[in-house]
Amino acid sequence: MNRTFAWAVAALFFGTSMAMPATAQERSAVKQGFEISRLTSKRILVFAPEVHVGSQSAGGTVTPNADWTERARNNIQSALAQQQQQLGNAVIAAPELYNDDARRVEEYDALFAAIADSVIEYQFVKGNRLPTKKYDNKEGVFDWSLGQGVRDLPGAKDADYALFIFDDDAYGSTGRKLLQAVAILGAGVPMTSGSHRGYAGLVDLHSGDVVWMNADSQMGGDVRDPDGAVKRVREMLAGFPGARTNG
Amino acid sequence: MAKACKRPTWFASVALPVLALAASSPVVAARTTITPPLAPPYAGAYQPVGKDEIGLWQRDDEAEKHLAASAQLLVAPALTAYVHHVLCETVGEDRCKGVRAYIVRDPMYNASMSPNGTLRVWSGLFLRAHNEAELGAVLGHEFGHFEKRHTLAAFKGERSGQSLLAWASVLSIMASNYGYRDSHFDQMRVDVYGNLRHFDRDQEREADAIGVSYLNSSSLRPQAAAQFWQTVMAEQDRSAAVRGLKRPDFRGVAFFADHPPDEERAETDARLALPSAANREDGTAAYRQALAPWLPQLLNDQLKLNDFGGTDYLIQAMGDADGWSAPLYFARGELYRLRGNPRDLTSAIDFYGQAIALDPKLADAYRGLGLAQMRSGLVAPARETLSRYLVLQPQARDAAMIATLIQSDGDR
Repeated sequence: MNRTFAWAVAALFFGTSMAMPATAQERSAVKQGFEISRLTSKRILVFAPEVHVGSQSAGGTVTPNADWTERARNNIQSALAQQQQQLGNAVIAAPELYNDDARRVEEYDALFAAIADSVIEYQFVKGNRLPTKKYDNKEGVFDWSLGQGVRDLPGAKDADYALFIFDDDAYGSTGRKLLQAVAILGAGVPMTSGSHRGYAGLVDLHSGDVVWMNADSQMGGDVRDPDGAVKRVREMLAGFPGARTNG
Repeated sequence: MAKACKRPTWFASVALPVLALAASSPVVAARTTITPPLAPPYAGAYQPVGKDEIGLWQRDDEAEKHLAASAQLLVAPALTAYVHHVLCETVGEDRCKGVRAYIVRDPMYNASMSPNGTLRVWSGLFLRAHNEAELGAVLGHEFGHFEKRHTLAAFKGERSGQSLLAWASVLSIMASNYGYRDSHFDQMRVDVYGNLRHFDRDQEREADAIGVSYLNSSSLRPQAAAQFWQTVMAEQDRSAAVRGLKRPDFRGVAFFADHPPDEERAETDARLALPSAANREDGTAAYRQALAPWLPQLLNDQLKLNDFGGTDYLIQAMGDADGWSAPLYFARGELYRLRGNPRDLTSAIDFYGQAIALDPKLADAYRGLGLAQMRSGLVAPARETLSRYLVLQPQARDAAMIATLIQSDGDR
């Protein structure tokens, strides 16, 4: 009897994500007034997705894995190209960059990362909204921008939007999974194994406004194989303005 | 949540250190007077071996790409080439070839060498090292970490330590669930963390010893390594004294310290240095020459640390060692004017005056002098000095504000 109960508890914890209560947090937002139809047959500049894959040891240390990272990078890029075509937009890869151009992109990349962090912390967690983002009845409004300097980004002249993608995966090692099982069965303590975080954001290259963003801390799909990457990219682009529902 | 802090933080966490399950790991006896024999240099380009090292290198390669395009980088080709040259002088041509040097604009002193051969030097180091030999001592130390693959060993140790603790925490909860109360988990945690930091300190000791070995077999003066630590301690001493704080403890080893105490490092470095090499060249002149174009900016960055005692010490140490120059007098004037007590303004006026005497075209010195005079109530000379500033620098960003100041009646 006791044993059955333990298994039931285990099933409960393993079956659901441990990361955080799903209801407390939003995952995606679109700028108010941004119309879906405006995004058909637009040109989207895609900067090289930032992708990291590693394994998580029993103690939680993440060991970077070069082979997985390489595979995931290729898989995500081809999944991206495939799905963008379905979305009816032209995807332009960012040009090879040198010197000042490279520095400018590096700076905007870092700026977008900082804004994405803020959006995740202060926009997607409803109770955290900042006073400056709430005044003037703007509470429910998604209003974030990188500024008009984005116009000077290399390649910006030939595109309407820029898509930034970040993906960080740590797969639970055998040791981590074993510990997870012992923790829940023996000690009754729930424990996560693996972490799969990522975000994608679309920026208007004329105004610098973030028109859409999606972020998740426990995404599905194994980026190490092509099919898994397709699933991951679909999750990443969930709610993408203009996406066909069965995309 | 999705942390976007991608670059330097990752490196810092990996450049952290190791566990001590392996008490057999490379440890240098702190009391030795013999430097270790140098390892043979690599034949050709080294390639990482094994999953862990290949993974670390890939992240490191990526971090280097970001660094190369980073706004934090000091784009100074000549100075960067000079750093590489000093590294080669220290560790030898066959070792230094594959290394890429980068100067990070940061007023603190630090340097690091990551697994793939990226050398990062923080710009604050240039104000603390006084010659090629001292710079070489720091670079040789970092190269020692690199040659011994310390990052990899530290990473593996950290990982096993964390896993050990994770297992222990789960098992101790289980034990208490079964009514066994006297878990030794807390003691174990102290042991593991203590050992990890102890291992860090031993890695640093080993790198110190290797660094001095390089200097011993180079044409530079190995005694400079100990000298560098003396400068660093003196600066901290002055900084604390001006703030009215207790003299820093340069001997004690704090539980979480990942470096040995400065005084120990100075003593060890002094003991390991080859006595017969004490009369070798320091390379002071070449060092000063390479640094000269960047000195004003480096001093300006240092001023912004708002560390009066430490900064005043550094400026004086440079002035005493290499002679007082206009940029040094100017920086000292700024330091005193920015603290801004009436007595400081009097000193600042004096320093700016000396800077102008050495370099009558130094526009910013007229600005500082004029502002210090204005705040001291010397309105007429202040107007004259500030006008001179605008003549020398009509396009200055604060030209409009200074012009207003000249026209105002001055009695606030």
